[in-house]
Amino acid sequence: MSSTSQKHKDFVAEPMGEKPVMALAGIGEVLGKRLEEKGFDKAYVVLGQFLVLKKEEELFRDWLKDTCGANAKQQERRRTSSP
Amino acid sequence: MSSLSNMSAEEISELLDEYGIKHGPVVDSTRNLYEKKLKEAMAKGKKAKPSPDKTFYREEEEEVTYVYRTPAKSEDVRDRTYMRSRPEWTERELEHSASYSGYSRSDYKGRNYDELSHESPKYTKEDFPTYGQDAPKAPKSSRLIPLWVQFLCFLAVAVFLYLVFSSMESNEPLKVIE
Repeated sequence: MSSTSQKHKDFVAEPMGEKPVMALAGIGEVLGKRLEEKGFDKAYVVLGQFLVLKKEEELFRDWLKDTCGANAKQQERRRTSSP
Repeated sequence: MSSLSNMSAEEISELLDEYGIKHGPVVDSTRNLYEKKLKEAMAKGKKAKPSPDKTFYREEEEEVTYVYRTPAKSEDVRDRTYMRSRPEWTERELEHSASYSGYSRSDYKGRNYDELSHESPKYTKEDFPTYGQDAPKAPKSSRLIPLWVQFLCFLAVAVFLYLVFSSMESNEPLKVIE
């Protein structure tokens, strides 16, 4: 796997709790805004979506692409961010 | 085909199963995604149809084994063609009248049994391209493990056993067997 960013390390260092969705590695201002508009305002909601997709990486990737137009690398970071 | 957005969640779920797409529950947040996936799958041209996979699979397998077995046994061929024509008839009737199905069916029924055994190699070769269009992965997926791999494994096991035998210190066991 590629090296993780500081943002990623910060995120996985502790339980996500109520962290906002922009705390996810790979989700910046623009993508975060798009997610929030769709109702995914907290990181745990995105986690919930991953679980509802039965933890299928490919499905989750496709969903992320649809929802906020994230590219492949950002999606990977998102997936590995969740426990 | 009714539009996807009008379908109930169960129907979408069933469709996803038919196309072999792994999925979770169809809820508000996932529905959009699954509809898009189904549209893509349909655009790719109906890889999995409502009819059970087994029948379809068996068709392809029979098609391939026919080429292999004809030179060896003629009785087998009769059984296979007989078995083949019946499910093929019912299945094709239910599904769609693609050109290749009409071609293969009429040809098989029309020909004499003797002619079949002679002309089969040519016939199945012609049939392959048309079959291939409709089910691109059919010739390859007819066997889980290709035939040559099976032969290779068998040979490897045989050679291994021979080596074990020949490297045994006393020759008595060999003599006893012979």
